[in-house]
Amino acid sequence: MIDRVHLREIDWILIGLLLLNAVLGVVLIDSSSHYLAGSFFFRQLLWLLVSVILLFLTLTVDYKVLLGFSPYVYGFFIALLTGLLVFGKTISGAKSWVVHLSVFGGQPSELAKIALILLLARIFSEYRRRSLSFGFGMLSAGATVLPFVVIGLQPDLGTAVSLLPILFGALILCGLTRKTVVLLLAGTLVLGFTGWNFVLKDYQKKRLVTLVNPSQDPRGAGYHVLQSKIAIGSGGLSGKGFKKGTQTQLKFLPARHTDFIVSVLGEEFGFLGIFAVFLSYFFFLARLFTSVFQSRDRAGMYIIFMVACLLAFQFLVNVMMIVGLFPVTGIPIPLLSYGGSSLLTTFLAVGLALNVKMRSCVNV
Amino acid sequence: MVSPIYEDMTPNLKRARLVFIVVAILFGVVLFFYWKIQILNYGKFWTASESNRTREIVIPAPRAILTDRGGSVILANNVVAFKVSLIRENTRNLEESLARISPLLGLDVAVLRQRIDKYMTLPLFRPIVVKDNLSLTEVSQIEGRRMDFPELVIETEPKRAYPFLSFAAHALGYLQELTPEDLRTAFKDRKIGDMAGKTGIEGAYESRLAGVDGKLVEVVDSLGRKRDELERVEPRQRAKLALTLDFDLQAMAEELLAGKEGAIVALDARTGGVLALASFPTYDPNKFITRFTPEEWIELARNPDTPLVNRALQGQYSPGSIFKPAMAIGALDLGLITEQTTFFCAGAALFYGRPFHCWFEPGHGSLNLPEAIRQSCNVYFYNLGMRMKIDDIARYADELGLGKKTGVDIAGEKTGLVPSTEWKRKTQGEPWYPGETISVAIGQGPLQVTPLQIAAMTAQIANRGTRFQPHLVLEDDAKAGVSATRTSIPSAIFEKVIEGMWRSANMEGTGRGAKVEKFDVCAKTGSTQTIGRETSERLGIKKKTHSWFTGFAPRNNPEIVVTILIEFGGGGGAAAAPIAGRLFKLYKDKHDRPSPSSGN
Repeated sequence: MIDRVHLREIDWILIGLLLLNAVLGVVLIDSSSHYLAGSFFFRQLLWLLVSVILLFLTLTVDYKVLLGFSPYVYGFFIALLTGLLVFGKTISGAKSWVVHLSVFGGQPSELAKIALILLLARIFSEYRRRSLSFGFGMLSAGATVLPFVVIGLQPDLGTAVSLLPILFGALILCGLTRKTVVLLLAGTLVLGFTGWNFVLKDYQKKRLVTLVNPSQDPRGAGYHVLQSKIAIGSGGLSGKGFKKGTQTQLKFLPARHTDFIVSVLGEEFGFLGIFAVFLSYFFFLARLFTSVFQSRDRAGMYIIFMVACLLAFQFLVNVMMIVGLFPVTGIPIPLLSYGGSSLLTTFLAVGLALNVKMRSCVNV
Repeated sequence: MVSPIYEDMTPNLKRARLVFIVVAILFGVVLFFYWKIQILNYGKFWTASESNRTREIVIPAPRAILTDRGGSVILANNVVAFKVSLIRENTRNLEESLARISPLLGLDVAVLRQRIDKYMTLPLFRPIVVKDNLSLTEVSQIEGRRMDFPELVIETEPKRAYPFLSFAAHALGYLQELTPEDLRTAFKDRKIGDMAGKTGIEGAYESRLAGVDGKLVEVVDSLGRKRDELERVEPRQRAKLALTLDFDLQAMAEELLAGKEGAIVALDARTGGVLALASFPTYDPNKFITRFTPEEWIELARNPDTPLVNRALQGQYSPGSIFKPAMAIGALDLGLITEQTTFFCAGAALFYGRPFHCWFEPGHGSLNLPEAIRQSCNVYFYNLGMRMKIDDIARYADELGLGKKTGVDIAGEKTGLVPSTEWKRKTQGEPWYPGETISVAIGQGPLQVTPLQIAAMTAQIANRGTRFQPHLVLEDDAKAGVSATRTSIPSAIFEKVIEGMWRSANMEGTGRGAKVEKFDVCAKTGSTQTIGRETSERLGIKKKTHSWFTGFAPRNNPEIVVTILIEFGGGGGAAAAPIAGRLFKLYKDKHDRPSPSSGN
């Protein structure tokens, strides 16, 4: 299946940037959780190893083959997530396979992103009109809304929301008329505004936020973001030093090794650390975005672009969230935050991009 | 399917580039925001993180120990007391928390809320004391349920304790929590919740007695658990303060006064140091050393017998015959009489057309000054009153320290009252009538004195005119010579009055009850009517007189002055003089022990 020519074409720079950021994440996880039981550091290392192996395994399969399977993969994940939702509710507390799954630490909802990327890529690869038609828009939106609802009901708002940049990435790339853009923007604004202000009650909003956020907010709303801002701001130019951040080490910072990992970075390594990581992340994303141009077909172009949009969205939302520029929604930062499924999903997504790139050479 | 190589994806790629540019711009914007909070607002957030992680705890300093003049008997020290405080930061809901705590501490929710409200201005992490002086049982009950009450914390503090309970309570004084008003004015450097001396030595020497609080800066985690200690400054207790009080004299004075109402003051005649200062009824200051307005204190404050009043300094009484030595000194100094001048006492005499009585109805007959003092003859002094102007009497009273504060080093002293023409004109808008002078001559009329003033006056007579400042701190004994003042009245005049006072005690005079063998006590007694004789007769009430005694010993090189006032005690000679005798005897016995150097 795999050709030596393809091996030569692997984008080692992209893999290097991917690993660089993942290793940075492991270091930060060590600092933010070394005093906790559960050895998050080693578990993340193990997941990293598994992710690297799985990435290279997927490279052996041509992405066009994967696209062929995409409806089945998508269907499998929808069924799995629905099952999780139903059984998780009806036999809560019982020793079901769902519980075993969560003990293992896997989150199928994360991997559902890959399934959606593949399905949308397949749908859009056949679409060649200059801009999006209504029916086609509804088809792709429907394909996204289904997992969005199932995941959102878990409830895991953060992961559900992360599906949106995949859809919007595809739509933008496909081409939107000005009318559609205005309609979409207006619709989103109206829905969001009425939903937040009129439909959801205060305690629901709070519950939503706290459910998404594992650590409960004991001292009033805004505490998490405040502690995060204190952590980042008190880091100053060069930070307080590795494992010396008081906000991190004395647990003032919530969800330190997951959603607020960049706050740890800001506190212990200062603005210089933030700048360095932003830079390395930017190079990583830039490498992905420029790879879009090297795809030899539409499907490949869509895959790489959707992956880039997903990762850029998660990164930007997270770094804005932790300084209060965006509501706390529980979106982890890919590669840096602790979480096996998230790490694996990111690796597989980047793997797809690599897959497309290495097979872009026409003279096979 | 068209070969991919010819497929035109340019429009799509243009859009991809646009999205990438937007992402790049967003990176820049977000980075700018990080720069803002990390570089521009660094100070603000750094301070916030420091106050997050550190907690400053005040370690209260114990107050200085108070001892008697010997230095070995501790009159006030400190014991460890437990207090329970609430940390508002550790509560989810203050009201719920108060409701849960209420049965544990046995306090009403309303009372708890009131206590919390009082300290509302403190930062959230500062513990607010909700109950102090906990018993060990209470401590174990609270500690045993530590997990249920994360907002409660038990701390220890040094608490003032008076081991001899009410012993010298009025001289030592008591503590109370500083009020917000205090904190704004005199106690700007102190903290809300601090206790401070209010009266007596505790009040007057507050800055000398209060130690310097220490502090402990701890590193705490987000749950408030201590992780490390950054800084520790030990509290500093100041050196112990020795008082002039003589434990044995004070103890006997209190024993003799128990059950009565009145005051006893004993002074060291050579320095003005207060050897004993007793006021009855009294109180136990241990009972209300608490932050919260204690019921005991309210009860005492409302008590009609006014146990909180220090009668030695604050009780103002008519001096009666105790004033006669002052009259004698004035008349002698003015040259109106000599010690041999005699007047005839027939038991009563007419002055300005009105009869004035002697206490001895049959009359003393003809007597000179020493005899008049010995027998405390009223008629003799009426005669002096007729010859002296009221303003002259006022001048001599002033020379002897009456009508003004003695300047003793504890607060609350009253001035008493010495009438003069100016005083009458100012207060009543009337001229002074000479007839009024006759009453003043035997210490009646508007005259008012405190027992301490009389003690100081007696010491001045004993020292033949030299006046020492009464004081309660032993260190001031050394300065007594420097601060002593001398009146212009020649000492020979004092000698003549002393002769009369000596006779009073030693030659079967009114002060004979105070006589002590080989101690040459010189004395003067007094019995003052609390209501006028006419009123008493009209109403048919026979109220006992206040009993006065003042005296010193020995006659030459006097060492001790004793002044006694017993409210409604009856005749001064009968009620007060024997008490003085016991005190003189005790003093003599204590100081007469053969000294090793004399070889006895």
